[in-house]
Amino acid sequence: MWKTNLKVLAIALLVVGFYTTVAHIIPQLQSEVPEALALGSGVTPEALVAAGEKIYNGAGGCTACHGLGTRAPNLITDYKGQGAVGARCGTRKPGMACKAYLYESLTQPQAYIVQGFDPIMPDMRKQLSDDQIWAAVAFLESQGGEVDVTGEDIAKSAPAKGAAPAPTGPAMTATLDPVALYSEKGCIGCHQMDGKGGAVGPSWDHIGSRRSAASIRKKIIDPKSDTTKGFEKFAGMMPATFGQMLTAAQLEALVTFLANKK
Amino acid sequence: MTLTLALLQQAVADTTGAYGHFPGIGGRGAVWIAAEVHLMFAAFVLGVPMFAVITELIGIVAKDSKYDKLSHEFTRLLVFAYSATALWGAMLLFALTTLYPKFWAHMTRIFSVSMWIYVSLFFVESFTLYLYYYGWERWQFGRGKWFHWGLGVLLNVWGTTVMLIANGWLTYMMSPPTGATAEGLPKGVTMWNAIANATWIPINIHRLIANAVFGGAIVAAYAAYRFLAAKTPEERAHYDWMGYVGNFIAISTFIVLPFAGYWLGREIYQYNQQMGITMMGGFMSWLWIVQAVLIGVLFLCANYYLWLGMARIPGAERFVPYTKWMLLLLIVCWIAWSTPHTMIATRDELVSMGGAHHPFLNVLGVMSAKNTAVNLMILTTFLSFLIYRRANKESVVPWARTGTLIQGAMFVIAAAVVLFYGVYGYFVEAIVRIGFSVYQVGAVLMCILGVSIIDAFIGRGARSRGEIRWGQMPERSQYALFVLAVTFTWLMGLMGFARSGIRQHWHVWEVMRDTSPDAFTPALGYAANMISLCVLIFLSLVAFIFWLGGLAERASHAVAPEPHGVAIPPGIAVARPGAAPVTGD
Repeated sequence: MWKTNLKVLAIALLVVGFYTTVAHIIPQLQSEVPEALALGSGVTPEALVAAGEKIYNGAGGCTACHGLGTRAPNLITDYKGQGAVGARCGTRKPGMACKAYLYESLTQPQAYIVQGFDPIMPDMRKQLSDDQIWAAVAFLESQGGEVDVTGEDIAKSAPAKGAAPAPTGPAMTATLDPVALYSEKGCIGCHQMDGKGGAVGPSWDHIGSRRSAASIRKKIIDPKSDTTKGFEKFAGMMPATFGQMLTAAQLEALVTFLANKK
Repeated sequence: MTLTLALLQQAVADTTGAYGHFPGIGGRGAVWIAAEVHLMFAAFVLGVPMFAVITELIGIVAKDSKYDKLSHEFTRLLVFAYSATALWGAMLLFALTTLYPKFWAHMTRIFSVSMWIYVSLFFVESFTLYLYYYGWERWQFGRGKWFHWGLGVLLNVWGTTVMLIANGWLTYMMSPPTGATAEGLPKGVTMWNAIANATWIPINIHRLIANAVFGGAIVAAYAAYRFLAAKTPEERAHYDWMGYVGNFIAISTFIVLPFAGYWLGREIYQYNQQMGITMMGGFMSWLWIVQAVLIGVLFLCANYYLWLGMARIPGAERFVPYTKWMLLLLIVCWIAWSTPHTMIATRDELVSMGGAHHPFLNVLGVMSAKNTAVNLMILTTFLSFLIYRRANKESVVPWARTGTLIQGAMFVIAAAVVLFYGVYGYFVEAIVRIGFSVYQVGAVLMCILGVSIIDAFIGRGARSRGEIRWGQMPERSQYALFVLAVTFTWLMGLMGFARSGIRQHWHVWEVMRDTSPDAFTPALGYAANMISLCVLIFLSLVAFIFWLGGLAERASHAVAPEPHGVAIPPGIAVARPGAAPVTGD
C-alpha cells in the first residue's frame, strides 16, 4: 500500500511541479501601483518625461492597448506613416495644440475617437493623479515632438486645497447648448452629425424622424433598452452613465434638439 | 508642492492602521492561502451534494441500490469536509479582520445584514447535512426515502444560497454599483444593489457549474485511490464504476464551463473595458497560455481514461483504430490553443519580432484559431464519450443505420461550421470576429444535443455485446483520474488569481485603493507558487479526510461484517482473474 501512496504523492507533486514550472518560464509581468509623484512648479521636462515613461510602461497600463496596432493607435512607433504620437498630436484636432489634445485624450477620451477604433479608452483620472497624467503627456510629447509641459500646467489643473475632489467623469458644465454637449460629453466619438463624428452609433442626422422624444430620452438614460437595427455588433458600447453626467435641464435640451432633427 | 505634500500626508493617513502584519509570507499571502483553501473546500461541499441527490434519485426511480450506496459514500466524505470548510472560513475571517481591518470595516458597513444571514444559513445547512447523513438508514424505504431525498435537495438549496451571498461580496469588489465610495454606499443604493452587481449572476452560474466539475473530479480521485487499495475484485469493480461516474460528471459539466466563462468575460468588459483588457490582453494575458496548457491536459487525460476503459468493454475493439486520429487532433488543437498572441511586449521585444506580433505564430495565436481549436477539442471529447457509451451495444431499432448516419452528419456539420468561421475570422474586423464564437459554440452545442437525443432512442432495447468488466482496468487509468483532480484544483486556483488580480491595486475597483506594501499584483511565477502551496495543503487535507472515511467504514464493518467483502451492486459485472465475469443481481 505504501508503494501506491508514494506513487499517488509523486503524481500529485509532478503535476503541480509541471504547472508551476510553466508559469515560471513565461515572461514575468507584475502590475505595479502608480507611484505617487512630487513634481513641483520647477520640475524639468526631463524629470517629467522620465516619470511619464514609467507610467506608460508600467502602472498606467497603456501598453495593454497602445502598441499592438489593433485595439488602439500605436503611440511610440509609427502609425500609418504619420510618425510617433509626438509628431502627429498637434494635427489631430484642428486648432488644438499637442499638449491640450493629449491631456484631453487622457481625461476626456470620448471627446475624439481616432477613426477605425472603438471608444474603449478609460478616463485616466480614475487611475492616476493629475501630476501623473501630465507626466504621461510629457512622455508622449517626447515621442517625436517637443515637450512643453511645465510645473504650471500641473498647478493649474490640480484641485484647489479644500475643494471637492476631481470629478470621475467628463467635466460637468452648465451649458444647455445641445451642440456644445455633443462635443463635451463625448457623443461625437460615436455619433455622426453634420458630417462630423464617429460611426460606432447611429447618425444623429434626421434622428427625430426615426425616434420619438420619449424613445431618445429612454435610450440616453438606459442604453441597453433597445438596439438600433444595423448596429447590433456595437450593442452595449454606449455608456450607461449619461443619466448621471447630464443635468435634468441638459438632458431635456438634448432630447428636444434631437427629436426636432427630422 | 504644498498640495502634493498634503496628498502624500493623506495617503499616509489612509494607510496608518489599515493593515496588519503577518510574519514570513505577509498579510496578502496569509489571506490568499486562507481564502483559496476555504474556497476549494467550499467548492467540494457544494459540488458533491449536487450529484449525491442526483444519484440517490436515480437509485429511487430505477430501484437500483448501487446508486444509493454511491450517494451514501459521497455524503460520508461531506461530513468531514464541512468541518474543514468552516475551519478555513474562520481562518479567513480572522485574517481579514486582523490584517485588513479598514477594508473589512468597509465590507461590514455595506454587507452586515447579509453576513448574519450567511452565518445562520451555515448552521441550517450543517444540521440538514447531519440529518441527511445520519438518517440514511432510518428513512430508507417508502415515503421515508422521499423525505430523505428532500433533505438532500434542501441541503443543496442552503449551500447554493450561502454561495450566492458570498459571491455578492466578492463581485462587489470587482464591479461595485455607481456612486459607491470608501465611506460606503450613496443614498438610494441598497445592500441588495451592492450584491446584485454587474458580475454577480455570471459568477454564480460559472461557480455552480465549476463546483459540480470539481466535486466530480475529487470523487473520481477518491474512487481511484480506493480502486488501487482494493483487496477484492468486488471492491475494484465498485470503485472502478464510481471513478467512471465521478469522471463522467466532471467532464460532462466541464464541457459547458467555457460558455459560462465567456459570458462572465463579456460582463466584465461591459462593466469596465479597462478591467476586461487587463484580464485578456494586459499584464494578465500570459495567464491564458498557462490556462490553455492545463485545459489541454484535462482533455487529454479525460480522453485517455475513456480509451483505456474501452478495453474492458466487449465490442469496443471496433472503435480502437480511431483513437489515434482523435489523439492527433487533440494535440494539434492543444498546440494552437497554447500559442501566445496579443501579449504585452517591450520596445526591444517589438523590434526583435519586427512588429507587434510574431511573424509566424501570429497566424495560430489569434482568437479565430483558438476558438476553433477548443470547439474541436470539445467535439472530439464528446465523440469519445459516445463511442464509449455505444461500445457494447447493438441497436435493434430498424432505423439504427440511418440514425447513426444522421449523427455522423451532425458531427461533420458542426466541425464544418467551426472551421468555416475559424477561417472566415481572419478576413473580418476584430469586432465582427468576436461574434463568430457564438456561431461556433452554437453549432457544437446543437450537435451535442441532437446526437444525444438520437442516441437515447437508438439505444432503446439494444442487445448487449457483453457486460462491462468493471474492475478490469489498468492501474494507469486511475493515475489519469489523479492528474485530472490535481489539474482541476490548480485551475481553480489560477482562475481565482485571474478574477482577483484584475482589480490590480484596488480592494474595491475604483472605490477603495490598496495602499499596503502588497498592493502590486504579483507576476505569474509568484502566483503559481502560492497556487501550488494552496493545492498541496488542500490535497493533503483531502487525503486525510479520505483516510478518515476509510476508518469510519472499517469501524462500521467491524460491527456488522459482510461475509464476502463488499456486496456486489446489482448490475455490476465483476471480473475475477481467470474466471468469467459475474454480475450482481
